[in-house]
Order: sequence, then C-alpha cells, then structure tokens
Amino acid sequence: MTKTINVSALARVEGEGGLYIGVKDGKAHEIKVNIYEPPRFFEGFLQGRYLQDVPDITARICGICPVAYQMSSVRALEKALKIETSAQTRDLRSLLYCGEWIESHVLHIYMLQGPDLTGHESAISLAEVAPETVAIALRLKKIGNSILKAIGGRSVHPVNACVGGFYKWPEIEKLQKLLPDLEWGLEQALETVRWSMTLPYPDFDVDYEYVALTHPDEYAILEGDILSSKIGKISEDDFEKYYLEKHVEHSNAIHSHGTDGQPYFVGPLARFNLNYEQLGDTAKQIAAEVGVEHPINNPYKGLIARAVETVEAFDRAIRLIKEYNPNQPSAIELKLTSGEGAAGTEAPRGMLYHRYKIDDYGMIQEAKIMPPTAQNLARMEADLWQLAPTVLALEHDEATLTCEHLLRSYDPCISCATHFLKLEIKDI
Amino acid sequence: MTMDNIVLLGIGQSFRGDDAIGIIAVEKWQERFPETAQLPALKVEILELPGLELLDALSGAKKALIVDAVQSGSPTGTIHVITENELLSFTPDSQSAHGWGVAETLKLGALLEKDDLPKEIVIIGIEADQFEMGAGLSPTVSNQIQKIVEIIQTQIIQIT
Repeated sequence: MTKTINVSALARVEGEGGLYIGVKDGKAHEIKVNIYEPPRFFEGFLQGRYLQDVPDITARICGICPVAYQMSSVRALEKALKIETSAQTRDLRSLLYCGEWIESHVLHIYMLQGPDLTGHESAISLAEVAPETVAIALRLKKIGNSILKAIGGRSVHPVNACVGGFYKWPEIEKLQKLLPDLEWGLEQALETVRWSMTLPYPDFDVDYEYVALTHPDEYAILEGDILSSKIGKISEDDFEKYYLEKHVEHSNAIHSHGTDGQPYFVGPLARFNLNYEQLGDTAKQIAAEVGVEHPINNPYKGLIARAVETVEAFDRAIRLIKEYNPNQPSAIELKLTSGEGAAGTEAPRGMLYHRYKIDDYGMIQEAKIMPPTAQNLARMEADLWQLAPTVLALEHDEATLTCEHLLRSYDPCISCATHFLKLEIKDI
Repeated sequence: MTMDNIVLLGIGQSFRGDDAIGIIAVEKWQERFPETAQLPALKVEILELPGLELLDALSGAKKALIVDAVQSGSPTGTIHVITENELLSFTPDSQSAHGWGVAETLKLGALLEKDDLPKEIVIIGIEADQFEMGAGLSPTVSNQIQKIVEIIQTQIIQIT
C-alpha cells in the first residue's frame, strides 16, 4: 500500500498549471495560459469580517509572500480609516518586507530560475553537482526567514503585523543578533550579482510597459505613487482607472490591461528599470562594477534585477536594524469609521494591489485583490506569441521546457507547485 | 535550530479543501491529548505551505512525525503511514520538478543538511479527494479525523 505513494502526491497545490497552443497551417493560432487561480475566494471570504482579521487571512494566500499580503492590506485599511502610522512602524514594516524579499528572491534565483539557466532539472540535481552553491542559497533564504521570525514570531506566516502598526515591538537584542548573518548575507548577495552576470540568458527583447511603485527617497517597497514607463506617475488611488481587469473565457483567470488594451509588466525588472536611481549606494555600486545594463528589457534577465534587489534588501535590513530603537506605541489606536482605501506594495514578484471598503464598525464590505501574477498573465501570453515560432519547431518535452523557462522567469505565484506546466499543442 | 528532541508537524492549507486535514488532525490531537501535547521534549507546529521552511522546522530534532494530505490514487480517506526512506525512494515524476513539496524538500535536505535533520521521519499521509478553495474537508476525509488522531498518539507514544 505505502509503495503506491508518488512524489507528486505530497506536492503543495497552489493552482493548476496549463498552457494551450492551437496551431493552424503550422503557425500559432491561439495561445492560452492558465496558470493561476486568482484570490477571488478570499475577496468573498473577507466580506463581513472585521478589518483586523484581514492581514492574517490574506497572508495565507501564499507561503512565499505572506508579508506582501499583510502589508498591502494594512496600508489599504489604514487609508480607509484615514490614519497614518508612525515612522517607526514604517521602518519595521520595511525590515519585515526586506526579509521576505530575501527569502523569495534567493528561492527564485537559486532554486527555480538558476537551475533552468544552468541546464538543471531542479535544485535537487543542481545540489548533486554543486552542493556548496545550494547550501549557500539555503542559508541565505533562512536569513530572510529569520527576519520574519524575529518580527512576526513565525518564519512562514508571521503574525505580528496589524492595522495601525504591530501588536508588539520585537526586542532590540533579538534583531541585533541577526546582524552577523546579515553581514555575511550581504557579501554573498554581492557574489550572487557577480554570478548572475555569468549565466547564459536566451535572447529575448521586448518593449514592455513597466509598472511599479516609486518613491522619491528610496527604492520603493512599502509605499509610493505608481509609475508606468508609458503613462507616467499616478496615485495608487487611481490605479483601477488606468489598469483594468478582464475575465478570460478560457480560464478562471483575470487578465489585466492598461486602458489601451495592452498588457503591462510588474516585478523586479519593472522596479529596477523605473527606480534605478533610488537604489542604495551598495546596490548601485555592484550594478556598476559588474556592468549591469540599464534598462534591461529581457524577461530572463529579471534574475539580475532580483540579485541586485537582494543586495538592496540585505543592505537596507542591516541599516534598519542598526537604527531600530522603538520608543513610541507599537500601534496607534483605531477609531472606526466607514471608508474606502487602496494601496499597493511591492511583493517580491511585483506590485500587489489591495482595495477595501469598510463600514462604521470596521467590517469589510468589499475587497479587491490584484496579485502580481494575475497582472502579468496577459504579458506572459503576449511573450509566448513571440516565442511560439521557436517552440513549434521543438519536440514536445523541449517545447514545454522552453515555455516553462520563459514563464518561470516572471516568478509566477505558481512556481512553487510541481507540475508547473502542462503544455498542449493541437492542430486546429 | 531547536533543542527539542521530537517534532510533530501538521502541514497543509487551511482554506483548500482536504489539504487542511494535516492541520486539523494535529489541532484535534492537541485538544484530545493535551498532556502528551505538552511533553517538554515535543515541539508541535502547524505549517501552512512551508516549502523549504520545512527543513528549519525539522532542524535539530531527533525524530519527526509529519501529518499531511496526499494524493496517490488510493481510496479517499486512506491513511498511509510511511517512512522517509519509502518516500525518498521515489524520484520526481515530473520533468519540471521545481516544486517544493514535502518529498522534494526532504530530498534536498538529505543532500545538504543530513546531519541537522532527524534520523527518523514518519509521515502520516491522508488520501485527499479535492483541494477546492473554501470547500472544507470531504466527508470521507472528515470521518477519519478520530482515527488519525489515535494514530498520531500511538506514533508519538512509540517515539517518546
């Protein structure tokens, strides 16, 4: 009986992955990506719940970026209540977010896209030939998670963030203990940028519309206006006026477009290209040292942007811990009032937008969640049209792998699920 | 890193149908056997979508018991008690095995962190039917909760 268990049996399910290419007269006629289940269940589930339950419920949408869901929701709800949190709260939120960027970026660089680019089937086969590299990656990832644990009590779904701030300030010593590991991590992150420049990236250049948060004083993670490489700067309150969601017939998915009907790109590449000037000195120096081109318009090279951002996250985390000295209340007292608020924050894989409408008792009347993967879906399909002529000339397995490599370069939320992609090519 | 000797992990996703069974079963076990659950040598943890964090949760423990949903083609509700070796003897069956399920994670751990990981890992796998968002447990899976709770208790008593 027990021998019948196979590996996929214990794989986590974060949505079904599928890609369909319809072929007519030897050419791609139809392309459908169906790789992501939008959090519509959660939008419904949240209705009628108290606002303070939202951060911890939405955090469960993803095992890799729970902090992003917490941060977008607390910021949107604080805007609905028209309250502003203290600078100390903002700094600790930034630190928490740096932890998530580190663990998620390292996972993607070394365990997901790295094996693709170096011809390995998975991080397991990479670990068989280069155990030191994967061991370093594991340690880096743990350091990211240790920030989550120090602030949020748990390394997978931290539980300390709330609307108004934090339930409790973490102890200063607890955070300072992380510094030696973070210093080591920063050095390794610099090495990662150097290594990222040696990888063989497929040629693929696209004139993308990039969309990311932007902030005049820092590389935006937690707050800012929304900047598009095509339409310029807009307030996050106006995001849904410019970026629309459309239900797609072939899947549960919702595709996002600009008002011109064109897809857009969110993620590290968008941030790096739009906010290069706001990077900290350490990140800028390493980018210059190794000759990172700017802007980068190749989705596979998102790995380089991710590597530079990992440096930024380590560098900022070290600074924030050194400056950490809370002396104000960890959270401001909430005065409940009806209202509506929208906010975006930069999840590791791109801008995550939340909007909530609340009543006088702080109960959720309406919730809207636009995750980065959902926003990128239309962009992925457009890229696949460009890739299709190459793909159709390949054997099925290789075709699947080629499509998968492209889609994985976006770091879609599904990337932690096995059976990432089932490719169907059909003559019609 | 933990000084605890034994870890019991309930793994899954609380909102996704039968994938919640590992979490629910461990919580029910804590309610029914509070004295065992509070043994000083035992660390009990609920992990939703832990991915590679599973290695951290296991690190430093001598023995581990993992409760999780599985899909193997057996009838829904079947309770499998399997050892790590039985699990690791299977290779990923997908070309695109970039996933971080329990099996892949343990395999990576065995390659890189063998010394930190428990010498003995037992997995209680409950055959799931569906992973629908918001669907709750299937009745057949739900009916097995008491049985799973007893198996957890037997296993824990055996290894403590």
